[in-house]
This record gives sequence, C-alpha cells and structure tokens, in this order.
Amino acid sequence: MQPRMQLGAWKSVPPRRPTLVARDRPADAGFARRPEPEAPSFRDMTSRMSTLERAPVFFAFQDSELRAIARRLTRTRVPAGEMIACQGEPGDSIFFIERGRCRVVVEKPPSLVTVSVLSEGEFFGEGACLLGRPHQASVYAQTDCHLLALDMPNLNAVLSSREENGTDELKRFAEQRFNLFADISVQATWGQLLQEATVVGVYSPKGGSGGTCISLNLVGALSRRYPGEVLLLDLDFPYSHSALLAGLLPSSCLARMGDVPAGSFEDVLLSAVLYDSGGPMILPGALRPEEADEVTPELITRAIAALRKTFRYIVVDLGVTITDSTLALFDLTQHIVLVAAPELSAVKSAADAVDILRQLGTPEDRLTVVLNHRSIKPAVGRAAVERALKRGVDLEIEFDGPRPDQAAVDGVLLSLSNPKSEIARGAEALAALLDFTHGRPRGGEDSKAGASEAVTGL
Amino acid sequence: MIGIASAPVAALRRARDRANRAALRRRLEAAAWGKEMEAPVTLDGPFVAGVLEEVTAGMAVDSAALRRLVAVLMNSGAIDGAIERLGSAAVQPRVGAARTIGALRLHDAVSRVAPLLSARERPVSDAAARALGRIGGAQSANALLRAIHHGRVSRRFVAELARSAPDLFVESAFAESFRPGVRSALALAAGLRRRRTASTHLISLVQRGSSRERVIGCRALGWIGASTAIPVITAALNERDWKLRVSAAKALGALGAHSARPQLRYLFADRNPRVREAARLALRRIETHGS
Repeated sequence: MQPRMQLGAWKSVPPRRPTLVARDRPADAGFARRPEPEAPSFRDMTSRMSTLERAPVFFAFQDSELRAIARRLTRTRVPAGEMIACQGEPGDSIFFIERGRCRVVVEKPPSLVTVSVLSEGEFFGEGACLLGRPHQASVYAQTDCHLLALDMPNLNAVLSSREENGTDELKRFAEQRFNLFADISVQATWGQLLQEATVVGVYSPKGGSGGTCISLNLVGALSRRYPGEVLLLDLDFPYSHSALLAGLLPSSCLARMGDVPAGSFEDVLLSAVLYDSGGPMILPGALRPEEADEVTPELITRAIAALRKTFRYIVVDLGVTITDSTLALFDLTQHIVLVAAPELSAVKSAADAVDILRQLGTPEDRLTVVLNHRSIKPAVGRAAVERALKRGVDLEIEFDGPRPDQAAVDGVLLSLSNPKSEIARGAEALAALLDFTHGRPRGGEDSKAGASEAVTGL
Repeated sequence: MIGIASAPVAALRRARDRANRAALRRRLEAAAWGKEMEAPVTLDGPFVAGVLEEVTAGMAVDSAALRRLVAVLMNSGAIDGAIERLGSAAVQPRVGAARTIGALRLHDAVSRVAPLLSARERPVSDAAARALGRIGGAQSANALLRAIHHGRVSRRFVAELARSAPDLFVESAFAESFRPGVRSALALAAGLRRRRTASTHLISLVQRGSSRERVIGCRALGWIGASTAIPVITAALNERDWKLRVSAAKALGALGAHSARPQLRYLFADRNPRVREAARLALRRIETHGS
C-alpha cells in the first residue's frame, strides 16, 4: 500500500497563527544577533551546481532536483594535511570536492595504502552515509580543500520526493566503490604480504645536484642494514655511471634485455646485476647513450616485477628529464626522494617537480625532499627553498668538502667507507626514514623501533 | 486491589490512560506497517508524544515505515496541528508538539522548532533541543550552536549538538569566532561524538585554550582515544591548575598511555588529594589496558 500523499509534497506548512512564540516572550530576540545562514547567492549556486553536475551519479537527476540538493549543501574548508574522515568510524555526510584534492588511504598496519586521489567534482563518504558501514578508508586533504557537505537528513529530504528512488543509484555506486577499494588495498599490500621489495625513486630535476651520489650512498646505507638485499637500478640516462662510481665494471645492462624471452628473463636480468663486496648491488640501465631508447616503460615494469621478488629495497636513480620511463617508474615506486641543491635554478626545477608529483597523486608522506649542499655558502637558504617548494625540507645534507669527489675517484661509497662524513650521515638518516615508513620486522628484530631511534637521534 | 480501593478514581483514570495508549500505539504501528492508511489521529493528547517516540524509536530516518507513518499523519492533518501547537502559549502543548516533531524526524520543521530553544520555560527549550537532536543535520546543529552562542550552555544542548552535528560540523565550528564558553561546549560535543577528525582541533585547544577549554579538551581527547595527543596531555600534568591535572590524568588513563606512567607516579605526591586519586585510578586503568 502506498501512502496517498508523498512526504516531499509537504514543505514547512505555514502555521495559522502568525507567530510561533507568544508576543510577550522576547527571549529569542537575542538570536537575531547571530542570523541564520543566508540562502546561497547566484554565484555560489552556480559553483555548487557545477560541482554536482560533475558527479556521475547525478547525471540522471533533473535540474530542479540538483538545485534542491545544491541549496542544502554546507560549505566547509579543510586545510591541507587535515583528516576529513577516519577509517573505521561512522559517517553521516557525503562530501563533494569543490576545490582541492583529497587522498583516500586504507590503513593496514604497518602499511598505508593510497587507494585513490580525488579531485574537483568527485565525492566521498557515501559508503558510511548510505550503507551504514564505518568508513572503509581515511580521507586526508592533500591540498587546501573546499568541500560541500550533504548530510543524511538533507539527502533524505531531497531524495524522498523523487519518483525514482535516487538512493538506490547512490547505494549501488557506494557498493561498487567499496569493493573496488577493498580490491586495490589487498593488491597493494601483496608486495608487503609476499615480502616483496620497496621501490624508491631518487629524482633530481637539475643536473649536478648530487642525485647519483645520494642514491649510491643510500644503497650503501641500506646495504649495511640488509646486506645482499638492496639493489640500485641506474636509469640516469644517457650516461649511467653509478657502477663506475662504486668501483664496479659493468658488462651488461637492462637495455639489452628487451628481446629476452619471458621464461629466462629473470635469470638473465639477475645475471646482469653487479655485486660489490660491501653489500650493494647495481644494475645499469644502459651502457652506451644510444641504448637508453631501448629501456621502454614495458621493460621497466617487467624488470621491477622480477626484481621485487629477490630484493628488499630497489633504489632507482632517475634521470633529469621526465620521460615515459620516468613516469612508469613513478607509478611503480612506493617512495620518491627528490634531491635539490640550494641554487636558484635547482630550487625552481625542484618546485616544478614537486608540483608535477602532486598532480600525479604522489602522497605527501611518500615524498621526501632532500636539500643537498654542494658548496660551503649556499646561494639560497632553507627557508627560501621551503617557500618555493610550498612544503618542508625533510632532510638537509651539509657540505661535505672534497670527500664525495674523492670517493668517486677512488670508487668507494662514503656510507660504507666513512660513516662520519656528511653524505654518509645523510644517507643513513634517509635509510632510517625509509625503513621507518616501509620497513617490516625481520626475524624478531623491531626494525621500526630502530629506525625511529635513528631518525630521532639525528 | 488495595490501590483501587484507596483511590478508585485515580486508578480508573490510569487504567483508561493505559488502554488509550495501547490503542494509539496499535493504530500508529498499523499506519507505519501500511495496514491502515486513514488514521484520524490527533497528536495533542498528553501521552501521544511519548507513544510516538516509542513507536518510532527503532525506525531509521530513511525507512519506509517512518515515511509511511509521516505520510498518514500528514494526510490526516495531525502534523499541521502539531506545527501549530508550537506557537501555543501554554507549556505542555509546545513540549508535546516539539517531541512529536522530533519523533517523526520532520526535517522541514527545523526552522519552526528552533525558536523554542530560546523559550524561558526549561521543559520547552529542552524538548526543542531533544527534537533537533533527533532530527539531526546541519540546520539542527546550527540552531543548537546559535542557542549555545547566546548563552544557552546546558548539558542537554551540548549533548543534542553532539547528536545532531553531521560530519565535520563541530570541527569547522572550531574555526569560527564565538563568545567564551562556546568553544568548551564544542570540545565537549566533539568528545561525545568520538570522532578522530576533531583531534587536531582539540590538541590546539589544550595547547592554547583557556583554563576551562583545556580541561574539557583533555577529557574529550581521552574519550576519542586520540593517542597522538599523549605528549600534549602528559605536558598538562605539570600545569598549576589542579582541575587540568585531574583531567589530564583521567585522559591518560582512558588512552592507556604507558609512556606517561612516570609522570603519573610523580603525581602521587601532589598536594591536591583529587589529583592523587585521579593519578592512582589512571595508572590502574593503564595497567588493565596493558594486560
């Protein structure tokens, strides 16, 4: 049996008496001092409507219905880095992103899996609001965000007046997204469950900033912790000289593996890895400049998939230019280390690189900015660098004198040969940071506790 | 039997009331389950609001049963009558009407109920607050917040604000400027809601708020279970205000903060007996938490 009259047909029926409170009762007069929120202006409504129109679940809604929803939205501003929704807690609102970007994170201790980066026009919170389940993931504001919130009573008030029940579509969408996030988070933690390697990209947007030096010493520092379990993949094209700088003589490289059949790919790849007595292992990307073009994104993906099974950490020294291969690597990395020198042009390039990485959806906690001093007197101070980057510098490596150049000539790694040098200390701090973020307990030792001590000890 | 013999009229009245309540309840349930679509019910009896609250207690706001019941009562004009009674001069009709609207979660009537929050009669304002708490949503929460802002800081209002506030409402209200006392109410509401999204705001309140705000902020962080606040709360153990020390100790106990055990033991020698007792209880809770 259907009710004769729909609920939505009644909209705040005016009372027969003109006033709700007796005239001789002026107690509510004070309320006028803080007035009710005004109805949205024309410009505000346009902005709200354009946000709603971008949401695919509302494609079937008529303009009048969208306007009704838009009128009931509440605007909220959230500063970057703030938590908007907490995994496991109940929720009663759907949030539409009017401006800014939000990161959806599934927290599966000890890992943290970013399952989605939502931008303008997208929405979240529908699972908790409509399905009555706790939030499946935490949502953080990646940038300063302007959100439009639609709470449950307002949603019901609008949707109950629809002929077709709008909540069904929303619930279907919420269910689909719930399953999708569950799948992504499981897939993303496979590496951790299968004890696969963490891929760390070291990117230096300006040549001469010390990217290769830091990647080599980082590999050295990690190798001291995990001997034989750390690999440096040198993709700093066109001249990949990491092996020579570490005193190793390469005979093969990744570029020559393009035609290797799938069955023997892993064996051939591992046979090209150069071993150093101190622990680090290096796989050159190309030995000759013309071989750089042979390293395609597909080849990199195949190689990383094979290498992840064998090593604990894969540090990739990326080149200066952003090519298809670099972008493929950004997708495959769990952490990116951005190396910048305190020079005007290097800082400008680093700021551009940070912007690009943000646009690619790199979470802030998976990006580490290293300020590497290449001279005694830096041209730009740390505060100025931070202003340019619009974020903090995570690690600062002081000027180390002629030691890095001498180590390159000698073919040794400072992190192994001279632990007291600035470069070695910086690499150790970076290794501790990576271990703290991505490390896993190994044979009863609590690597996280050790890492945090190392970080705080700096 | 003895009761009837001693006061027969009152006993008969009670029996009649019980019968009427039962009959009303059956009719409302029949309407909710779609068995009766024409219900000539007037919602102005002395017990109608209570019966309605009982009938709708288990119904979700988007449930078909509640929507059906609202539609039946609307068709019969009963809801119009309830809205009209909100403007009555007498106390009981206003209280009954507010409770009725709350029980039926009439979101569109929020603007009609909100003025009652400023009523001089406590039962009326409390009933209005309860109704807005049941209806929920940003409009209800905003009405309650405005009432608190204008001096109506009572436990009932704060509890209903916590109940009605949608996600991020309390958190964004922290950023607004209010008169003293409202921030404490917001902190209390945030604690009652137990949402971690409010942790950052509460931590800054504990660091930079007034004495009262800091006391409430500590307790709220304890209720929420915000372990990130342990260092800030531990630092509050050294404050001169004994209420803040008590509050911080209780919060650390609620959080099971093992790292704060030495500082809590130090409070065993505090000159205030309440602080000593709070520290003892907190340590016991931490030990229980650990085991």
